Amino acid sequence: MTIRKREVARRIFAHEFNNSTYKIQDEGEKSPVYVLTPLGLKCNRIFIVGALLEKEEAKPDSGIWRIRVSDPTGVFMGFVGRYQPEAFESLLEIEPPELVAITAKVRIFEGSRIMVFIRPESISTVTSDVRDYWVVETAKATIERIKRMKEGNEDAKLAKQIYSTDLEEYKNVVKQALLTIMEGFIEKAEETEIVDEEEEIEEEIEELEDIDEFEFEEEEWDLSELLED
Amino acid sequence: MIEKRIEELTQQIVQRFEKSGYKINAKEVLKRLKLLMLEFKVPENEAVRTTVNYLVKELEIPRESLAVESEFVRISDITKPNQWVSLKVKVVQLWDSNSPNISQVGLIGDETGIIKFVIWAKAGKKEVEEGKSYIFKNVVTDSFGGRMQVNVNRNSEIVEIEEDVSLPPREIEVVGALISIQQNSGLIRRCKICNRAMTKGLCPIHGKMDGYDDLRVKGVIDDGENVYEIILNEENIKNLTGIGLKEAKNIAEEFLDRTAVLTELKKRLLGRYFKLIGNKGERYLIVKNIEFLKVGLKEEVEELIKSLEVQA
Ligand SMILES: [Zn+2]
Repeated sequence: MTIRKREVARRIFAHEFNNSTYKIQDEGEKSPVYVLTPLGLKCNRIFIVGALLEKEEAKPDSGIWRIRVSDPTGVFMGFVGRYQPEAFESLLEIEPPELVAITAKVRIFEGSRIMVFIRPESISTVTSDVRDYWVVETAKATIERIKRMKEGNEDAKLAKQIYSTDLEEYKNVVKQALLTIMEGFIEKAEETEIVDEEEEIEEEIEELEDIDEFEFEEEEWDLSELLED
Repeated sequence: MIEKRIEELTQQIVQRFEKSGYKINAKEVLKRLKLLMLEFKVPENEAVRTTVNYLVKELEIPRESLAVESEFVRISDITKPNQWVSLKVKVVQLWDSNSPNISQVGLIGDETGIIKFVIWAKAGKKEVEEGKSYIFKNVVTDSFGGRMQVNVNRNSEIVEIEEDVSLPPREIEVVGALISIQQNSGLIRRCKICNRAMTKGLCPIHGKMDGYDDLRVKGVIDDGENVYEIILNEENIKNLTGIGLKEAKNIAEEFLDRTAVLTELKKRLLGRYFKLIGNKGERYLIVKNIEFLKVGLKEEVEELIKSLEVQA
């Protein structure tokens, strides 16, 4: 008898995550699913801290909620259902927009187009200092991966082959993320900061609503199946 | 030099068979060892093993009746079950055993690691003591519940030694996020006899029992590279949240629900970053000190941005 080791929750920005299209799974139905990212990270579980922008039932009375969580680089899309009671119960109590920490399994949908999303195991509200630390930690992890892409372990080589990764692009994204945190440190005038943030979030929501319907239709029929594992 | 060593090894092998009640031809052993070591350049322990195996087969001796001298290994080298090994260790911890088949069970360690050991009652060994060092000769590796352990049987030998075997550095500092709190956390009841956590008034050992209240958090700290299972006791929890046993009982009464304590603790702890110092046990990191992480990030962020500009 063997016990599978608990999967580490990796730190990754939405930008790198959302650019991932490659699934790795060993033989056997029950082997864990990994997503290989453009920077050669093989992940099955991630830990993210960001702004919960929206939650809405994916389809009326389905009991499955779609959420959007934004970090400084992009938006994670996720689904929470009754199969994850802990995350489900917490989500019901949270009114977006709100800063949250989420531990989630990563999932990949291979339909007419390939997309990744998250399946939260736990969700909790946090304060901005937790978000700041997460951005720094995730920036460091990403920089480390960029370095390893140059040296080239097995996963890095595969990632290079699949994605032809442009490392400069990822360096810039990390830099931008760090700069947003830096702004927070510098801007001491808290009131203006809060107003800015709220405006930004509203803009983002509007932007997302446009593509929303399209994505929803595409995956509607397959959703429950995806979530039932 | 090497020829003298071969004579020594020959003597050892002869004595080993003698001890088990078998007389063997020393000249024959010497000849085989010389052939293997001098001519074929086989390493010493392989040569000994091969010779012993040959004799066991030749004399039709049942394997288990021979006091086999196993190779000395370090605990970190133990990765496969069913290997005969010898160890130089210190007894780290003795556990209570409720099985009549087991004489003693607990943890032993050397510089490279810690491993569970079981001394079967049938082995008929003198008891070992916590903190003392021993040679565990001819014990068998085993895998139980996905983890390695060693079993002490009738053919094993335990000899106390003067030397104080040192253990791996066990106290570690971790900075990570608390990403999971298990359901059996919060306001729990423990068995009055064995202190084990009870579920629905039942102790896993003593069944229906009188219990007492306690506060604990079983959870997972994850730093993005490693996972640590931790247990926080009442003191840890009170320091972090202000909720001690008394406060927890108040919450339970107020909500008429003991699980309300767990909900409250999750709200205050889950998803946060912590800095903690603890002792690495076989499975859990036993927390000595834990606090919310508080660090100034400004300088680090500036440096990271600078490093990215240099690279680009
Ligand atoms: Zn008990």
